[in-house]
Amino acid sequence: MRLLILGISHQTAPVELRERVDFQARGVADALRALAARGSTREAAVVSTCNRAELVVACDDAAETRADLTRFFGDFNHVSPAEVTPHLYELVDLDAARHLFRVAAGLDSLVVGEPQILGQVKDAHALATETQTVGPVLNRLFHASFAVGKRVRTETALGSGAVSISFAAVSLARKIFGDLDGRNVVVIGAGEMGKLTARHMKAQGVQHVTIVSRTMAHAARTAEAIGGASAAPWDDMDAVMSASDIVITATGAASPILTKAHVEAIMRPRRNRPLFVIDIAMPRDVEAAAGEIEQVFLYNIDDLQATVRENLARRASEVARAEAIVRDEVDKFGAWLRSRGAIPTVVALRQRFEDIRRAELERLEFKLSALPPDARARVDEITHLIVEKLLLTPTEQLKALGDTDASRNKSRPPR
Amino acid sequence: MNTVPLALYAAALVAYAWHFAQRNALVGRTATTLLIFAAFAHTFVIGMQTMEVGHVPIAGTTSAISTFVWLLALAYLYIEMTTDERAMGVFITPLLVALQTIPALRPSVEAQSDVLRGPLFGIHVSSLLFAYASFALACVIGITYVLLFKEIKAKHLGFFYARLPSLQVLDRMNQVAIVIGWIFLTIGIIVGVVWTAQARGGYDAGDPRIQAMHLQDPKILAAFVCWIVYSFELFAARRIGWGGRRAAYLSALGFLIVLLNFVPISYFLTKSHNF
Repeated sequence: MRLLILGISHQTAPVELRERVDFQARGVADALRALAARGSTREAAVVSTCNRAELVVACDDAAETRADLTRFFGDFNHVSPAEVTPHLYELVDLDAARHLFRVAAGLDSLVVGEPQILGQVKDAHALATETQTVGPVLNRLFHASFAVGKRVRTETALGSGAVSISFAAVSLARKIFGDLDGRNVVVIGAGEMGKLTARHMKAQGVQHVTIVSRTMAHAARTAEAIGGASAAPWDDMDAVMSASDIVITATGAASPILTKAHVEAIMRPRRNRPLFVIDIAMPRDVEAAAGEIEQVFLYNIDDLQATVRENLARRASEVARAEAIVRDEVDKFGAWLRSRGAIPTVVALRQRFEDIRRAELERLEFKLSALPPDARARVDEITHLIVEKLLLTPTEQLKALGDTDASRNKSRPPR
Repeated sequence: MNTVPLALYAAALVAYAWHFAQRNALVGRTATTLLIFAAFAHTFVIGMQTMEVGHVPIAGTTSAISTFVWLLALAYLYIEMTTDERAMGVFITPLLVALQTIPALRPSVEAQSDVLRGPLFGIHVSSLLFAYASFALACVIGITYVLLFKEIKAKHLGFFYARLPSLQVLDRMNQVAIVIGWIFLTIGIIVGVVWTAQARGGYDAGDPRIQAMHLQDPKILAAFVCWIVYSFELFAARRIGWGGRRAAYLSALGFLIVLLNFVPISYFLTKSHNF
């Protein structure tokens, strides 16, 4: 049985093509049934996300199946083969396993280490199981890939640290306040950026979001767009800020709207309850010196960007450890696949020996029939034991043969 | 006999440090397991001593230190299990190892002086030991608070940012530890005063140690200074909003006095508490 992966991803195909080759939109279950109906595969699964579309199959003849899958890629998505083929990559056997493991670990993702991909790989397997297109080989392969994803997540820092501005802000808020529910957020400025961040905070479970804008109507509109938020007039800004834990400033003002003295005045009645100020405006809305106040944590857009860069650098340094886990699991999977490859030979050998034994017993039937039943049973037992003992060495040697194959494969330079 | 728990505490220290650096879950569980074994071994040691002398070994300075280490280990384990937070272990275990070295190096047979009679004495020592264990935790929590605070303020989110719980959680844990410690410190001091008053009117009134039991004695003075520091911290947290970093510094200062009082003053300076 051969493993084969055929696909396109953000690394090989432009977004225009990825949009058109979208199994998700056309129905993965339909794709699996269509694929099964073609008969070129033994087992099949489809991994489809916005960044990749991959067919993961087990088949008998890799070359033949490859040609058929290429046609299927075009047919199913109504894209001409000439358009898809230059962007398609194909991976066979252990290279295919390595690829799926790297995908599940987030090593092949656009943002290295992003956590969603493991769930998407799991979904792909669940759907293929539902459609009954997977069998023992793909089951083993997918479960091994889940194990890789889990190991990489727990044993390396590949997925740690926020790698987008809004997540960096949320992660900081969590490090200051712990839980975010019960926290109040005020957004100053009703622009698009403020709205986005407020929506993000809301999704993270903060208690209340208040929008403050110079134009009350504008604030009310934004609050309504976010849903579950309220608006407050500009003059109430200080009162609202006193009751809040997180302040997001995103106005288009040309000069700072919050000076250090202003923030100090807000802090006084709060009795040093921490205040997290996120200044995402450009030019800045909050005087930098305000960050010197004891319990004020001031981050502007550059600071957040810097933490994102640091996190990305840290992730990059973890790649080697994650790749080592992938190698380790590929070796394990390879051993399993080889032992599976030896099974038909061993079975055939056993069958042959057993046939010979039976034939010989039948040939000697006329002599054996004179024996009492328990002696006959003894003869049967002894011949069986002889066959078992004869088979012992060849079976071991078959296994050893598989291992030398493996070491030959390993000594090849890595792809 | 105190060397077995010492060795286990040291092993736990190594595991906690390793876990803190590498964040390997298995190493973390190993660290906790080692500390649990250390606490078990220590319980056994203290239990043996209790059976030997007929009371919990808290009357002598050295055995009181051993009992204190045991209490602190248990208190820390309780906090770790309730908060599921292991980062603090790397700060607590060095303290356990350092203090446990004293009873391990000075194996003394606990002999309770005839002067120290009555149930009040037991309450006095055990509540103070409990208070000091709480203050030790508060100090460690305070130190970690400051480390995390500085990283967030400096906008360089690195080592501690990835490993410690949030500032708010640390601040709250510090406050709880201070409140518990303060209550036991107050009880311990009051009971000590009452006990002294009783002893002065009793059979041993002529003992020089009992005569030295007044505020000028370094040990008693240091305990009183401690009480003032922690009372101020509690007052400041409630009335003038001194939480966060200031509370953390005060907890460190308070525990420094506790440590001085507990080791050098007890061994070399006090005239009233050298039993």
